Amino acid sequence: MIKKTIAGITLSLMMSVSAHAACSFQNTVPVKSLTAAFEAWKAVTSAMGECGNVQAELDQTFRTKQPAAFAANPSLYHLGGVANGTLVPLLNAGSIRPLDDLVAKYGKHLTPNQFIKVDGKIMAVAMMVNAQHFMFREDALKDAGIAPPKTWDEVLAAAEKLKASGKFQYPLGATMKAGFDIGQDFINMFFGYGGTFVKADSTPSVNSEAGVKTLTMMKRLTAYMDPEYLVSDSTFVQKQFQQGKIAMANLWASRAGALDDPKESQFVGKIAMAAAPLAMAGGKPATTLWWDGLVVAKNIPDAEADAAFRVAMEGIDEEMVKANNAAAVWLVKGYVPNRLAGGAIASADGGAPNYPSTTQMGIMSAAIGERVADFMTGKTTAEQTLAAIESTYTTKAKEAGLIK
Amino acid sequence: MKARTFAAFVAPSVVLMLIFIALPLISVFVQSFYSTQQVFQQISVESCTPGFTTQTCTTELRSRQVMDAAGKPMTTTSFVGLESYRQLLKPEEVSKAFAAGGGGLSALMTIDFYKALRFTLSFTLITLPLVVGLGLLIALAVNNLTKSIRGPLIFISLLPFIVTPVIGALSIRWLFIGDGILTAALRWMTGSSIAMFAQGWTIEVLMMVYRVWHVAPFAFVVFYAGLQTVDQDTLESAIVDGASRMERLRHVIIPHLMPLIVFISLIHLMDSYRVFEEVIGFSSEAHRISLQWLTFSYLMPDETGNRSISRASASSMLTMVGIVLLLIPLLMRTWRDNRVSR
Amino acid sequence: MADTKALQPPLAMKLLIGGFVALWALVAMFPLFWVAIMSFKLPVDALSSNPLNVILGPSTRANVGGLSIISLALGIAVLVAIYQVPIRHGQSFASRLAPQGRMIIGWLVFVVLYLALAGVLLFMLLPLVSSLINAILIKVPLLGLLAEPIIGVTLEHYRAVWIQHEFYRNFLNSMMITFGVVTVSLTVGTLAAYGLARTKSNLAFWLLIAALVFRALPHSVLVTGYIPVFINSREWLAPLWTFPLTGWFFQLFSANAPSLYGQPLAIIIVLVSINQPFTIWMMRSFFMNIPNELDEAARVDGCTQFGAFWRVIMPVMWPGVITTGLFSFLLAYNDYLVTALLLDAQSQTMVPAISQYLNRDTRLSDQIEAIAAAVSITAPLFLLVMVFQKQIVSGLTAGAVKG
Repeated sequence: MIKKTIAGITLSLMMSVSAHAACSFQNTVPVKSLTAAFEAWKAVTSAMGECGNVQAELDQTFRTKQPAAFAANPSLYHLGGVANGTLVPLLNAGSIRPLDDLVAKYGKHLTPNQFIKVDGKIMAVAMMVNAQHFMFREDALKDAGIAPPKTWDEVLAAAEKLKASGKFQYPLGATMKAGFDIGQDFINMFFGYGGTFVKADSTPSVNSEAGVKTLTMMKRLTAYMDPEYLVSDSTFVQKQFQQGKIAMANLWASRAGALDDPKESQFVGKIAMAAAPLAMAGGKPATTLWWDGLVVAKNIPDAEADAAFRVAMEGIDEEMVKANNAAAVWLVKGYVPNRLAGGAIASADGGAPNYPSTTQMGIMSAAIGERVADFMTGKTTAEQTLAAIESTYTTKAKEAGLIK
Repeated sequence: MKARTFAAFVAPSVVLMLIFIALPLISVFVQSFYSTQQVFQQISVESCTPGFTTQTCTTELRSRQVMDAAGKPMTTTSFVGLESYRQLLKPEEVSKAFAAGGGGLSALMTIDFYKALRFTLSFTLITLPLVVGLGLLIALAVNNLTKSIRGPLIFISLLPFIVTPVIGALSIRWLFIGDGILTAALRWMTGSSIAMFAQGWTIEVLMMVYRVWHVAPFAFVVFYAGLQTVDQDTLESAIVDGASRMERLRHVIIPHLMPLIVFISLIHLMDSYRVFEEVIGFSSEAHRISLQWLTFSYLMPDETGNRSISRASASSMLTMVGIVLLLIPLLMRTWRDNRVSR
Repeated sequence: MADTKALQPPLAMKLLIGGFVALWALVAMFPLFWVAIMSFKLPVDALSSNPLNVILGPSTRANVGGLSIISLALGIAVLVAIYQVPIRHGQSFASRLAPQGRMIIGWLVFVVLYLALAGVLLFMLLPLVSSLINAILIKVPLLGLLAEPIIGVTLEHYRAVWIQHEFYRNFLNSMMITFGVVTVSLTVGTLAAYGLARTKSNLAFWLLIAALVFRALPHSVLVTGYIPVFINSREWLAPLWTFPLTGWFFQLFSANAPSLYGQPLAIIIVLVSINQPFTIWMMRSFFMNIPNELDEAARVDGCTQFGAFWRVIMPVMWPGVITTGLFSFLLAYNDYLVTALLLDAQSQTMVPAISQYLNRDTRLSDQIEAIAAAVSITAPLFLLVMVFQKQIVSGLTAGAVKG
């Protein structure tokens, strides 16, 4: 055992020495980054680390930390990993800088569809897209003689059959942990039923027919889930798939890679990817499209921003994508879409909407995440829940100053 | 001691408490009557989002924050009186709940504040007798053992108390969540398919079990220390008088330990009223929340980076009023004791 | 204590008591014990629902290796020795190490030495010696069975946590903050408690009651007050740095006004303040038990009040100081709420850092790494109680809990 420890230490030392080899320059300015913690970010930050002097922090709770950390002067981090939703607080606080000149200097290899522009200025550079889409155990469905479901009603029917077959006690999985996850599930379904969340004057309009349908469908689905679904996040569902406990779920595209990882999963190659199911006939896939990308803090010296952006570009270069092709649906040159990307692409082709990066949507998502759990535990009816979401939204929007 | 010397001795401590306890308290009190808002304006913005091959650009009317000269968002602060308290207590919904056909208590329990208050109070009041009782039982039992095994037993007993609360709660959670080892054991024993984290009451029971497990050792060690000072002469004369074991316990030992029982109750009331770590450790947000967790959740920035400072302040103030009310009987006793002893 | 015949319980009761104590000991130990075992196994074993698999770790044994009966026996012997030393000989070692009767220094030196030695023994000498013996014995028939690995053990999660994820940074932060809190809080608190114990003024009484109410405050109430100040502290403090009269002084420390958010020093002060009420009450009851005549005698000999306190009272106070210090230690070391909200990742202590491990959780091994981190946090506490267990009981007996 001691030999292994020593070998481990030497190995890690050697890695940090040889690390610089893969980076085109030697970074001397200390750069700190704060990002989410899924596989794609692990790949990007470790590619950034090859340049030296990079301290990467990967944390799934980054969304609560980022706003305050970037608003500090000097900012506590140079680089931030953001997505549609998490960009908003940084934009609102004015704590990230426009990247046009940096892109001109170091970003020659970027393609135009990677830029997030606000008011004509590039505020973030995207590296990948993400979406919750349908994944299912191809073998199990075939055995039970079920055609891959295309709508949520078909999913229910398939779940019923699988449960009856006795092979799966709980055939369905879902990211329904109270808070962000369940809010996201609601938003996907609600868009699938063609609903609109807020009116033009920022007042809520979630208490509608689409809202009731959404809640009803979510409740019906839970009948086929592990009863602990209110603590079930993406990782929980991923494990359920890997251990063969569930046969179907709407899960993030960024988790697909882990399902094909032989070290973790017992069902490599058996889990198929498809577009998110339709909520209603003739509708669009019930999901939202997300991007993930990098921003640079405003409250740091220009020289540090320069170095940080340069490092970031090394993190999302062709070399990294080639080494981690399966980790995500990359937007970076050199990406070869594989089987695992099929679900996200099919969802986009089906016309699934982009997740709106607006302040209103941020507040709405938080309000939904807070209130839907009460419906699931049977404390409130659908109408009461929707009314409670609206009143929570209104309170928060008033606090934020959006509504007078 | 001269007044000046006294002042010199207590000054550092008092200054610290003033700055870091009293001052924040006052500021929270003041903040609960104010509300700070950001200033928004409607402008038309062209924004582009990435797509697989092409970019989608849209021009739309959006609410955007107004920035000041330094590039920081502009804010306005206004006096809102009891508005934040109203948003917490929701008096109109309460009266609706109790009006005819409103659903009464169960409707009340969908309002965060009352939900948290209900849980916090029952958590505090149910665990209190359990902690004192279990602590006393263990102390009496260990005190009856031979000296040589008391040491290791005290060590083992202290473990649940010293372990970091979040970690203690997590390790209980790991034993019970999903197909955890103890849930599996429960299923095997009862023959049913229990899921401990699927419904509120089981989580609540787990949280209380955890708290008793965590605090009873403290009660135990304090009582055990107290037992070492029981007057042997009194005990022996009680035996000579023919007092039975139970009578000795009731008339000699318990009265001797009474100040300690008050002490433990005081500490436990204070600590369990601010129950918080359990909510995090057991991720019970969907089912059970506590008052301190409520404040914490208002303080965490939401998806827009906004913290509900006013509501957090209001809920802090209400939480504080609650604990003071709970403590009054015990405070009165301490007050009397101190008066007498001086 | 129970020397009279009549005090001896009857046999049935003895059995009842024994059974109860045994049950309690099991309940007290089991969760921690089990989690500790899980941290040494590969995910497949650790998360297995068959308890035997968790304990024996067959897949860990097959993939990584394991401990033989010999190694186990050696390990247990070392653990017992580590447990026995401070209890049997802690007192005498400490007093031998103490310069001129300053017991606290003696204890400090002893604890540091003890921890270092225990670490070396457990993690370096033990594996070396046991692998040596195993290597020799495995050649011998029959005896070789004893050297055959039977329990699967892996250290890879600990390696991942401490080396790969640099948990030692959080460990150092924790140590710094805890050390700061314990020393400052004891210094300030002892002075105040002494003052309060030796005065008859009404003010002192009201101070004590106020402290009791402060003790009851939920910490989130206080943090609510801190957050806006901490985040905006640079702007709030800037005038002190730019104002000519005070500027030169503050610029000695840093060129610009600091941002309190993420500053360990600020956290130390905050935790000290939060801890003050309890420290004062506890120390005061210790001082109340020391007869007033002692300092009066010293005063007659020409000591000032402070001199009397320092030369005469403090030397007999050390059980109280240790007991109170231990509670301060637990508060600072175990704090989650304050450190989670007011520290950023670079300066984060171990307890809030563990929630990051849980959140990083995308692979099965991440979960076991979180468990390994949790065990790492608990281990120092474990040793601490081992060392001070006697002092806790005797300290509490000496009267800390009479108030």
